[in-house]
Amino acid sequence: MNTQTANRYRNAFDSIAAPATHLASRRQALERFLANGLPTPREEDWKYTSLTALEQAEWHVPGPAPETAVTEDYPGTLLRFGNGRLVDADPHAVQAHSLAAHADAAPAARYLGQLAGRISSGTALAQINSALWQDGLFLHVPARRTLPPLFVAYSASEADVMLHVRNLVVLEAGAEAVLVEHYRGSPGLPYWNNPVSEIVLGEGARLVHLKLTEESATATHTGLAVVQQARDSRYHALSISLGGRLARHDTWVSLDEPGAECQLDGLFIADARRHIDQHLHVEHAAPHTASRQTWRGIAAGRGRGIFDARVVVQPGAQKTDAQQSSRNLLLSPHAEIDVKPQLEIYADDVKCAHGATVGQLDEAQLFFLRSRGIAADAARALLLRGFVAEALTLAERSGLAGWLEPHLAAALPLPEKEDTA
Amino acid sequence: MSNTEVRHAELHEPGLGNPELRKRIDDEYRWGFVTEIEQEIVPKGLNEDVIRLISAKKAEPAFMLDWRLQAYRHWLTLREPTWASVHHAPIDYQAIHYYAAPKTRTQPKDLSEVDPELLRTYEKLGIPLQEREALAGVAVDAVFDSVSVATTFKDKLESLGIIFCSFSEAVQKHPELVRQYLGSVVPYTDNYFATLNSAVFTDGSFVYVPKGVRCPMELSTYFRINAKNSGQFERTLIIADEGATVSYLEGCTAPMRDENQLHAAVVELVALKDARIKYSTVQNWYPGDREGRGGIYNFVTKRGDCRGDRSHISWTQVETGSAITWKYPSCILRGDDSVGEFYSIALTNHRQQADTGTKMIHIGRNSRSTIVSKGISAGFGSNAYRGLVKVLPTAANARNHTQCDSLLMSDHCAAHTFPYIEVKNASATVEHEATTSKIGDDQLFYLRSRGLSAEDAVNLIVNGFCKEVFKELPMEFAVEAQKLLAVSLEGAVG
Amino acid sequence: MLEIRNLHVSIGDKPILAGINLTVRAGEVHAIMGPNGSGKSTLAQVLAGREGYTVTADSVRYLEQDLLAMAAEQRARAGVFLAFQYPLEIPGVANVQLLRTALNSVRLQRGEPELDAMDFLDTVKSKLALLGMDESFLYRAVNEGFSGGEKKRNEILQMAVLEPRLAILDETDSGLDIDALKTVASGVNALKSPQRAIILVTHYQRLLNYIVPDHVHVLAGGRIVRSGDASLALELENRGYGWVIPEAQEEARP
Repeated sequence: MNTQTANRYRNAFDSIAAPATHLASRRQALERFLANGLPTPREEDWKYTSLTALEQAEWHVPGPAPETAVTEDYPGTLLRFGNGRLVDADPHAVQAHSLAAHADAAPAARYLGQLAGRISSGTALAQINSALWQDGLFLHVPARRTLPPLFVAYSASEADVMLHVRNLVVLEAGAEAVLVEHYRGSPGLPYWNNPVSEIVLGEGARLVHLKLTEESATATHTGLAVVQQARDSRYHALSISLGGRLARHDTWVSLDEPGAECQLDGLFIADARRHIDQHLHVEHAAPHTASRQTWRGIAAGRGRGIFDARVVVQPGAQKTDAQQSSRNLLLSPHAEIDVKPQLEIYADDVKCAHGATVGQLDEAQLFFLRSRGIAADAARALLLRGFVAEALTLAERSGLAGWLEPHLAAALPLPEKEDTA
Repeated sequence: MSNTEVRHAELHEPGLGNPELRKRIDDEYRWGFVTEIEQEIVPKGLNEDVIRLISAKKAEPAFMLDWRLQAYRHWLTLREPTWASVHHAPIDYQAIHYYAAPKTRTQPKDLSEVDPELLRTYEKLGIPLQEREALAGVAVDAVFDSVSVATTFKDKLESLGIIFCSFSEAVQKHPELVRQYLGSVVPYTDNYFATLNSAVFTDGSFVYVPKGVRCPMELSTYFRINAKNSGQFERTLIIADEGATVSYLEGCTAPMRDENQLHAAVVELVALKDARIKYSTVQNWYPGDREGRGGIYNFVTKRGDCRGDRSHISWTQVETGSAITWKYPSCILRGDDSVGEFYSIALTNHRQQADTGTKMIHIGRNSRSTIVSKGISAGFGSNAYRGLVKVLPTAANARNHTQCDSLLMSDHCAAHTFPYIEVKNASATVEHEATTSKIGDDQLFYLRSRGLSAEDAVNLIVNGFCKEVFKELPMEFAVEAQKLLAVSLEGAVG
Repeated sequence: MLEIRNLHVSIGDKPILAGINLTVRAGEVHAIMGPNGSGKSTLAQVLAGREGYTVTADSVRYLEQDLLAMAAEQRARAGVFLAFQYPLEIPGVANVQLLRTALNSVRLQRGEPELDAMDFLDTVKSKLALLGMDESFLYRAVNEGFSGGEKKRNEILQMAVLEPRLAILDETDSGLDIDALKTVASGVNALKSPQRAIILVTHYQRLLNYIVPDHVHVLAGGRIVRSGDASLALELENRGYGWVIPEAQEEARP
């Protein structure tokens, strides 16, 4: 990293008002970030994604007055963040808080930064977030409590800002919650969103976690979620990536105790000139753990979609059951799909499988639908709907399908747009 | 606790004293003897003088020496790759003899001039070189350390215009073909080990099948490492001209030694329009002992170029030997309607490590590829499939199907799958499937309750698991490969 | 209703149909029989508008229109229905979704208003009852995980819902046990009407015990080599195809 860029990060660091208690660890994170620099395609995990444009842009941290952006109706309690800071919170959201206000109290202090420190890749982006975060969600659900659906809307409305939102979610034993994160920005606005979420699930806790990314067409989104699961806990995640110029989503789950299960589903639509890179990493660190991944990807226009998922079965993690499915459609001559489903197995009594396909809509199915009187365009749209449906079962089961529908409808069927950016 | 674990536990006792047990284990590698023969060997170490010496010993034309030196100078700028899922102590490239050959006054003209000790060696390995005793329908080139000692059925092949000879002979007799094709598939800049090979390779096989000729017999090379502390760097070049067809087999063994030995070969295949090349390997280099002492480091670059329309290259490999296997036989599907295939069985037992797979690069329209990979991990073995399927924008209607299965036989082994799929053409269809399973206790019980021994039951299951690959091998090789697998797995399951 | 004059079909250089002539009037049931590879399924697919064939003909008229000029969906909307030999699985698309989209496309063409969800369900449920099918059928993905018999019944359900003028059933009997065969046949018979024509493409006579054809044609070597009434089917059943085909193959040779 050149001196000029480094100085820009140092200035940003100096301009934020962080509590004195964190200053040392934040400074340490900054220095590590500056020493390592942003990841480059020379690193195996960044083989298909270059952050050169991100590195060259002149980002600043947002000004002190948070903007309020226009919002939509959400079918649940709502927290709104504008340019990285809490704008307002539904009074019913008693378990959801501003992380900035609670960072020094237990249990936030106990977990904050612990999980992000466990991951082995993408560390630089987590480090700059650790250095520069100003606020984020702190969700703490006490034992055996069930939380109604919580929506967290993050919006960006200032040009050239970098937003390092930090979220911490702690579900105590037997707690249940549905958390929906929605990332958006003003149309046409260039900005960089780099949220980090740390999620701790206690024994038997259940979290449904939906992330809808609809960043502006010129924005960059680099997001990391790190999840730690205790015995018999369930983490069901659905990531839907529809926006941004460049989006990179890292999800890292560690199944630490027997009986823990995770399901990581997702859908990405890389149309126009979008570049969407999905990285999943599941560590089976204990016996009798299970993971499922069901992903659907679509690349159209000059878009490029990447699905890279690694399942690691550690020694002794017998009776692991891991299944990965990644199906992808290429809809235009200039689009590209890259898929890397990986299994790394150090135990023998395991059931692991993956399947990956890259192809186009099935001509025979199209003919079948047309022979039933459905016009070619409508038939194509129907098949696209069918194609993505398998990845969206979580939305159906958790009652979020209705809310999601207009967002999907806007993205599907894909108009034939070659270049919009 | 299974017997496997008991056995491993015994072996980990200090002293490893049980001579009976030791003998049984040693028995498992039956090709581990040493041939006592007078050797001509160049001193250890690598520098430009050694390369000049190798080139001079082979009386090579100037273009060959230039090419070697260019490669050597490039190699000095490279660093050994570390991305593969294998671990080994650093290789000291200055502690290797880069040339070792049986001492003879002159190049033998026929078998009567070949040292009888060498002929006995090959007989012992099951490869008789006397044509009247030779396997019907298989022509053999026998490579002993750095040189080819004999090639059978040459005259018969020559009558069809087929050139099958040692690489050294090809450099002398067909320099124009060597010059045209050498490095045209694997350039000397390709990768660390291929570059090293380009600088120091000593011999290997050369095949040219002229236009429209169907080679009437299997061509085969048998590689044998004998000398101590030597490296083997052979180079094979096979050219099938328009409409030609050839099937080529390679086999390899080495004595048991406590030191690791380096084998860094390069194989280049060129298939012109409508040509077809089938390349089969049964690799049985010394794998090292149970503790991982000794064994061959097998770093090999194999690549086929489907240069013409409708050309077809098929790789089949059965990898049971070597301490470390690092190889990715690949196809560049340049021609329209060209076909690439890769069928692989890789077995790792004891402390063996394999990182193997293929690359299918689709360039031509309607190019098709099939990948079937079967990995078997036993003992403390580590087995990784690493593959790339790349469809370039020109490859309209390209098709790939990949099936990649792992069979796990102990709780200390490792099995990895690292597929890369890159598609830049919207009319292409790529499918990848992978499964991992273990030999289940219930399966074993079922078979044993029908009267099979545990080992027979395992062999039955393993053979079933590998069936799709065995059927790609020429008949007599398939039988050999099945036996080899059974022997390599002895003691893997109790 | 359908008049085929000198229809030739080939894939690449390979001829499959070599001059088919066939007239089907409203109210009639035609059976097209023939050994495997005779071109029966190709004829069915070409009539439904499958692409990828080279098709030439003096004329193929359907209800006074040029059938070959119409796209597959136009034919469907105009009342042509093909029950597929191998119905396709479409994961993620519910049966009910397919039926409703298809029915409303057809209704739009006929100048009828779209059915709302309630009316649509009423319509479909009555057809389900007719075919002895469970309502849960509607909410499963199209043919995914269906047994062979369920897939064929699903085809007949679509036909019952879309109420075509010309129904072409391609090997609908293959792979059915006798009970399923009877159910399918009664579904087809319920659709018989003076306004409607049915073409049964089949290898065996079995189906014709339950759906009695007015005309039977034997297809071999890409041509109709013999036509007759229902008794021809019985004769074929007793004597096999051998006695009609050798002469046909002689003729077909250039």
